[in-house]
Amino acid sequence: MRLALLVLLLALAAPARADDTLHLYIWNNYISPETAARFEAWCGCRLKQDYYSDNEEMLAKLEAGAAGYDLLVPTGNAVHTLIRKNELQALDHQRLQHLANIATAFADPWYDPGLRHAVPYATTVTLLGFNATKLAELGLPTDSWALIFEPAHLQKLKGKVTVLNSQRELMAAALRYLGHPVNDTDPDHWRAARDLILRAKPYWATFSNSTYIKDLAIGNIWVAHGYSNDMFRARADARAAGRPFAIGFAIPREGAVLAVDNFVIHKSARRPDLAHRFIDFMLRGENAADVSNLIGAGNPNRAALPYIRPEVAGETALFPPPETLQRLEMLRDLEPQQRRLMSRLWTEIKVK
Amino acid sequence: MKRGFWLWAAGLATYAFLYVPLAVVVLFSFNDSELNASWVGFTTRWYGKLLGDADLLQAAANSLLIAIVSSTIATVLGTMAGIALHRWRPPLLPFLVLTPVAMPEILLGVSLLLFFRQVLDLTLGLFSILAAHITFSLGFVAIIVRARLAGMDESIFEAARDLGATPWRTFTRVTFPLIVPGIVAGFLMSFTLSIDDFVITFFVAGVGVTTLPLQIYSLIKVAVTPEVNAISTLLMALTLTLIALALRFAPETLRKSA
Amino acid sequence: MPASSSRTDRSARLTRWLVTLPPALFLVVFFLIPALIMAAASFREPGEFGGLAPLAERGFSLDAYRFVLDDVIYAWILAKSFAVAGLTTLLCLVLAYPLAVLIVRSPKRRRDLLVLLVILPFASNFLIRIYAWMIILGPLDLLYSPVAVIVGMVYVHLPFMILPLYTNLEKHDPALLEAAQDLGAGGWARFWCVTWPLSLPGVLSGSALVFIPVLGMFAVPELLGGTGDLLIGNLIKEQFLDNRDWPLGAALSLLLTLAVLAVAGLSSALTRNRGQM
Repeated sequence: MRLALLVLLLALAAPARADDTLHLYIWNNYISPETAARFEAWCGCRLKQDYYSDNEEMLAKLEAGAAGYDLLVPTGNAVHTLIRKNELQALDHQRLQHLANIATAFADPWYDPGLRHAVPYATTVTLLGFNATKLAELGLPTDSWALIFEPAHLQKLKGKVTVLNSQRELMAAALRYLGHPVNDTDPDHWRAARDLILRAKPYWATFSNSTYIKDLAIGNIWVAHGYSNDMFRARADARAAGRPFAIGFAIPREGAVLAVDNFVIHKSARRPDLAHRFIDFMLRGENAADVSNLIGAGNPNRAALPYIRPEVAGETALFPPPETLQRLEMLRDLEPQQRRLMSRLWTEIKVK
Repeated sequence: MKRGFWLWAAGLATYAFLYVPLAVVVLFSFNDSELNASWVGFTTRWYGKLLGDADLLQAAANSLLIAIVSSTIATVLGTMAGIALHRWRPPLLPFLVLTPVAMPEILLGVSLLLFFRQVLDLTLGLFSILAAHITFSLGFVAIIVRARLAGMDESIFEAARDLGATPWRTFTRVTFPLIVPGIVAGFLMSFTLSIDDFVITFFVAGVGVTTLPLQIYSLIKVAVTPEVNAISTLLMALTLTLIALALRFAPETLRKSA
Repeated sequence: MPASSSRTDRSARLTRWLVTLPPALFLVVFFLIPALIMAAASFREPGEFGGLAPLAERGFSLDAYRFVLDDVIYAWILAKSFAVAGLTTLLCLVLAYPLAVLIVRSPKRRRDLLVLLVILPFASNFLIRIYAWMIILGPLDLLYSPVAVIVGMVYVHLPFMILPLYTNLEKHDPALLEAAQDLGAGGWARFWCVTWPLSLPGVLSGSALVFIPVLGMFAVPELLGGTGDLLIGNLIKEQFLDNRDWPLGAALSLLLTLAVLAVAGLSSALTRNRGQM
């Protein structure tokens, strides 16, 4: 009994933080273990990660008052929200020697002009991943949202398609297919998008945010609406497992959503010094390249390009050429009343 | 004879339902495939890899500790609540006991986080996780203990009282032995609720404090490798051992009546 | 002897407070106060960036309730969720009852082990068990369907039916069954006239512990369900983790909790009447 009490006391005391620890609140699997270990060795400190699998999870937790994270890795629209809520510390550019490595296209983003709070780390595109072997057999196009919205195509794919379980992402795909911008807020356009989705829904297997990588790699699913880095992973998994088919992915020609994830320092950070060192470390080309080589994300860091494996750097869905980049848009947050209407339409989509 | 047969058949069918997925979990922890969707070949390398994975082991240790402590406290408090519900029917207690069970866990998670941070200004850590787990387990214990007491012959308690037994003595000698199976069942339920909780723990976990479900959910997209099956298997083996030991060395009264 | 009887009275009162207060206080602090914060949140407006709008600027409003109650779609989802919870509870009962009887009928020293075997699968991880079901249901062509949702729901909640049933059945006096047998009652008659009515408190508490948590569950429909398997738990989760509409999420939760408490109150009132008859 006394022993148990002692163990308990020790365990309760354990979280009292070791001095040189940088606390990172980040997407799952977004920094490779190799990179983390290299940083720890270089800095002589510990890097501790907690995870979220969606910006909204992180925002909800911070909204309710969670504190003590030094670094967060939000997407552009979430950075915008955090800045407007005054939740971030301004960056000290003096301490970020390698900031100039950020490519021009990402150096002055709408969500944080002049990168005063955020340093872009990785980019992903919401696109279509597919079983290339199967789709070639069926003679279906792979470069258009028509693949998941047109019953003529879907008839050959019934029960073999998954779409993201995210109201903004799915609506954005439908809006682009209908020729509208992803941040369109016209309720009539939203309703048209809902109708498009409802027409296609009977052919889909499910809404999935997490299982499509596996389903694609196994061959259960032939087409998935999801993130480029996930498709990269599915392709690698299928290859490693020696599956008798190839996984491909492409940005639909109608345009798609681009996500830029950034390092930011939370206002409750206890070690802004370590946070700055970490950001600067990650800004160096050889470290910045890891997120592309190992995780399959696009890279906003131009010094990273020489270190990125050619087969990754040559993948146009990860590193879109300028004319494709023009057709990509970042999501922006909606107003509360618009969110309610969107949620209402989404509920209808889910129930019908 | 025939009825006995059907009973056995039905009972075993339920056990089979419980254990078929479990067999998949254990079997696939030996699967030589990172994708782990179909059987490829036998290997024990995932167990080797697991032993080198400090984060996952730390998370498992945290989970086990939290589960043991929180379910013990929840069992004590829940048993008291169950007895109170049965004996005195206090007016507000049923509401207090039932509502946490009825409340969607996400709401409980957000509201506890708001409360810890904005009312108590607490630094989140093991304490906040423990308090949250006790909160959602307590009702389960109370309900099962009350169900055990329901319909029990009141005359035994009266007899004990008439014989001059103090309330404490009545409790240790009469009530407690009678409700032990309810208490054990309540403890087991709290234990599984705690060791498996993701949603509420996600909100109330502090910086750098992680549990096994949090750690596993972080792998959900990319790498639910057989390593995760391996740690699930080990956790079950450990649970089995711990509970078997606990039952073996439990106080005499508890063992006799259980 | 009035002196001694008042002493027992006092000690009885003391006992009552000592037993009732600790759990009640704990729940008031860690449940009631946080719950009241959320209940209040349901009468506020969503903040521009999520969370809640500042009280000073926007004050209280019934918007969230109006939004839910004006729209039949939410009532429909609630009804559907109750149906799923009801079916899950029924299936759990059918699966759990024979098992609980089996455990009670086995020799005393083996019972602990059999009970432990019920709970053991649940010491593995929830997500891993669901993935195991995906592996099983996939080849049967049942994955991503309402059937998969029900299977998952039943599996996840089964121990919460078995354990209360076992706890209740365990205390039944075998003499009663023997007496019934002596009176010439057959197997079924013995069950319906003796065992079943006596086990009602166990059935009820087991049903409560299955029915109620099923309503808040969102992970099972999300992972195993198809394109139409949205339940009230998913809807509530979305308000907090997708849509940044805390007032709407809180209002939906509050309405759900009230509906559940109403059902619980109704069923306990019904059985109390039955008991008196």
